[in-house]
Amino acid sequence: MASIRFHIAVFSAKCTHLALRLMGRGATTLPGKVAVKIDPKILQKLCKDRDCVTITGTNGKTTTTHMITDIFRNCGYTVVTNVSGANLLSGVTTSMIFGMKDMKKAEKEGKKIICVLETDEAAYGKIACQIMPKVSVVTNLFRDQLDRFGELAHTRELIAKGLDSCEAQILLNSDDSLVSELYKGREGRTVFYGLSEESMHYNNVTYPDKSGVLPASSDAEYCTECKTKYTYTARSFGHLGAFSCEKCGKKRKSPRFFVKYDLSKNPSDEGYELSLLDAGAGKTEKDFEADTANTAGSQGVSGLIEKRVKLPIPGMHNFYNSIAAVSACVCMGEKIGDTEGLSFDKCAAALEHVEAAFGRMEKISIGDKKICVLLVKNPVGLDRALSFVAGASDAEGIYMLLNSNIADGKDVSWIWDVDFESKEFPEKVYVSGDRYGDMMLRIVYSGVDRSRIIAKPMEECAELLDQAISDSTPGKCLYILPNYTSMLALRSILVKRYHLKDFWK
Amino acid sequence: MTKGKCFSKMDNTEKELRICHMYPDLLNLYGDRGNVLSLIRRAELRGIKVRLVPVSIGDDFDEDDFDIVFLGGGQDAEQNVIRRDFVEVKGPKVKEAIENGMVFLCICGGYQMLGKYYQEHDGTKIECLNAIDIYTVGEDVRYIQDTIYEADFLKEDGVSDSSVLYGFENHSGRTYLGPSVKPMAKVIEGAGNNGKDGYEGAIYKNVYCTYSHGSFLPKNPRMTDHLLRIALKRRYGEDYELPVLSTESEDFARAALLKYKEKGNTAP
Repeated sequence: MASIRFHIAVFSAKCTHLALRLMGRGATTLPGKVAVKIDPKILQKLCKDRDCVTITGTNGKTTTTHMITDIFRNCGYTVVTNVSGANLLSGVTTSMIFGMKDMKKAEKEGKKIICVLETDEAAYGKIACQIMPKVSVVTNLFRDQLDRFGELAHTRELIAKGLDSCEAQILLNSDDSLVSELYKGREGRTVFYGLSEESMHYNNVTYPDKSGVLPASSDAEYCTECKTKYTYTARSFGHLGAFSCEKCGKKRKSPRFFVKYDLSKNPSDEGYELSLLDAGAGKTEKDFEADTANTAGSQGVSGLIEKRVKLPIPGMHNFYNSIAAVSACVCMGEKIGDTEGLSFDKCAAALEHVEAAFGRMEKISIGDKKICVLLVKNPVGLDRALSFVAGASDAEGIYMLLNSNIADGKDVSWIWDVDFESKEFPEKVYVSGDRYGDMMLRIVYSGVDRSRIIAKPMEECAELLDQAISDSTPGKCLYILPNYTSMLALRSILVKRYHLKDFWK
Repeated sequence: MTKGKCFSKMDNTEKELRICHMYPDLLNLYGDRGNVLSLIRRAELRGIKVRLVPVSIGDDFDEDDFDIVFLGGGQDAEQNVIRRDFVEVKGPKVKEAIENGMVFLCICGGYQMLGKYYQEHDGTKIECLNAIDIYTVGEDVRYIQDTIYEADFLKEDGVSDSSVLYGFENHSGRTYLGPSVKPMAKVIEGAGNNGKDGYEGAIYKNVYCTYSHGSFLPKNPRMTDHLLRIALKRRYGEDYELPVLSTESEDFARAALLKYKEKGNTAP
């Protein structure tokens, strides 16, 4: 039975929520904070006997969470999930409190309930034991705002601590050497997902690279076991790829769930088709290698399931997010005994109906013009976004905004870690944000002529947006790449000046 | 056409700059590669051919192959990987190069590694290269902030802010200089070497060390040019003159940064 303390905590959270909304403010974390103050174990109580999926890692959390949520909903589940960014104890608690109503209703109607919770990678260690997830996804580990979190090895330890505090089935990215290592000591409950090696770009990782400049700074070139440099037979991006250590024998694990795609196709194209595959419980891609070599289109070959889907959210990093999401849903189905309702086929098919979250490649029409916002928070995110824009056939302009508030990380030097040099920029380049000078210089140093760039301080970012939109040609797209706080500013500009919907929900 | 490009046809086609990028696969934190990009860019715009060579674990280091050496900073785990290679294997040759006047730019972890030792929080002393007379003591409080320094050797007539260096520091080590080493600059804003004596970085012969990460050279084109100049003079003789090159884009970024700092920033 829930305690009085619990009820007071929930009540106080609701009052806080109401007060904040009356003041016209977003209320995604403060109600939870209040509740936790009153009942420190409230999250544990809220999650008790619930079927929870957690998603953590440095990149792709929000999109993966979003995809998992949509798949479950498509498969008939009632889903409680948290709003992007509200992924600390307070945010997760807020979401669970306000999900109570939906859950009660669903229980009455006899509907199945799932909680899909994005958790901050640094907070995961502390809150996993309260959520007690049945399935826990770790997306990847890339350098983030290092001035805030310390170092990647430390972040991984925090995640490991969280994994050990619960009994979740662990879904790990096989292609990330930092993440996949988390299987150690947790062998019995780990499942890998990744890109099929044949579908990775065979990057030449020589130095200097093809364009004669520098490869992007990498996070994990050396074996964490024996400090020998990894050999890569293939890479997808960053340090993700088919790595192996010649000295100690550590190497990429063959995944159960994997993606295949045609390397000749442009992953920036909308509605791009790819294959999702499931080797089946206890098996991996490797078990089918002989088969796939001999049989073209291995549909159904000795248990290997292949599903072709049109992905509504393009970009190669979304291949990872997609397969992570489908694996999470399928594994949850196995855990809770709904292998029928959450079959691989159904989960994969549901992906086609996923919609982009704001700031994550959603194309927005403004009159006859189009904009697309790509939130970039760290080097690999920016690398993927620039690569995506370079490949987009409708890219005519790019508008980059860089702030350096505490939530962004005070240090903007990470923009120099990104390989701008190998990316083609659209014809028109606009730059704003508090650190517009830094960003302008970064672009100039990559070889873009200074005369092509219009750079304005943050105070003029709205006017610059007007200009960028008015400069663009109907049918073409203006790609906007803000970092975190500049995205918040941009969002309110879009609401006020262009009367777009309020994205707070 | 940018101003910069006008100079690209200058008669420097015979000239070459050979950059040694030490441990690029391990020491690559906080945008340190921006410094290498700066050296490349401001040399190439002058028509100087650039050869960039990575020298990592197990690779030979021979000072005759290079005009300038860049050594950045890394995460702790990565610095431990290279310490043995750098101190024990390459150490003697690096020391010799330094004594012979090779141009070095060393940032943060790279700066500390040239010194005598690094004393950890618990008192453990980690032996370093002992190439220059400095030592570092790790403390709990980390200095993380935008910085401004003033370096007298960069003073140029007619350019008001020529000696001003912009940076960003992120370090918990406190570095102290011995008598044979000069500080690189005076601290105007920030903590500098140790938060106490008001100085930042170190100069020993042609070795330049700083705690300023990331976009240190991009934001300080006169520092970039200074390094290029001494490296090329060393190669082509004292008569060599580095061609004039516009700093318009860099100055735009510096002015923007100054405006931002003056505005003050307390937003979350």
